[in-house]
Amino acid sequence: MPVDQLSTTFAALADPTRRAILARLTSGEASVTELARPFEMTLPAVSKHLKVLERAGLIARGREAQWRPCRLKAGPLKDADDWLERYRRFWEESFDRLDEYLGEIQKRQKKRKKEDKDGRRK
Amino acid sequence: MADASNAPTTSTEQALVIERVFDAPRELVWSAWTEPEHFMSWWGPKGFTCPHCEIDLRVGGKYLNCMRGPAGTDFDKDFWSTGVYREIVPLERIVCTDSFADEKGNVVPATHYGMGADVPLEMLVTVTFEDLAGKTRMTLRHEGLPAGEMSDGASAGWNESFDKLAEVLANP
Repeated sequence: MPVDQLSTTFAALADPTRRAILARLTSGEASVTELARPFEMTLPAVSKHLKVLERAGLIARGREAQWRPCRLKAGPLKDADDWLERYRRFWEESFDRLDEYLGEIQKRQKKRKKEDKDGRRK
Repeated sequence: MADASNAPTTSTEQALVIERVFDAPRELVWSAWTEPEHFMSWWGPKGFTCPHCEIDLRVGGKYLNCMRGPAGTDFDKDFWSTGVYREIVPLERIVCTDSFADEKGNVVPATHYGMGADVPLEMLVTVTFEDLAGKTRMTLRHEGLPAGEMSDGASAGWNESFDKLAEVLANP
């Protein structure tokens, strides 16, 4: 998978027509002609969108039939979850440390204040 | 999400959102994020250290951090990261980009550090700080940035896109 696959995926999802195409594909395979119908778009225009979706790994196109049916692929969504999950662990553990550190530093500040006070008294 | 509790709360969207309430004044939590000597004391998972931190806290300014993994583990090396500050509202909000880097601050893909190619080259981190009568609610938002849509505000579209797809995939 290329390095910027995830960015490609998200860029592909940024377009309302492409999202509508994906929505249509949740109810099953469809041909380019079927996909073009609700959008009043030319076939080449729809093909362009399909190419973007295919490059992003969001759909697959059949090689078996001449009409090359399109179908949804859920893989990239899962990838997004995987890296988010790694970052979740990273941040949660960092914030545990931040929590401890904030406690420590406040204790230190209090102690210093008390020492200053005691110092002045002497 | 809305109620203040000490337990960490986390929500799953296509952006990572983590909310925490710290028993510390907001000024201190802000300093912990913006002053290197503080930042180096906590940044990184358990067992990691942060031996280097540069922060140029102004819009357009950069940071460069190093995180060192525990000796004898798979993470026993230096991981550098960098980013540009996009928005700074003192005591309230920091928005910056986030990328892996080499020690000179050049952006590198996550694969440079043996991590998955699925990690976006550039991410956006938003941290907000809210005063809760002496305590501080901090919210972190970490999300990918789509290629070719790096302008400000692009992330909103990105999230919307993903929300829609998630909805679509959940209701076949």
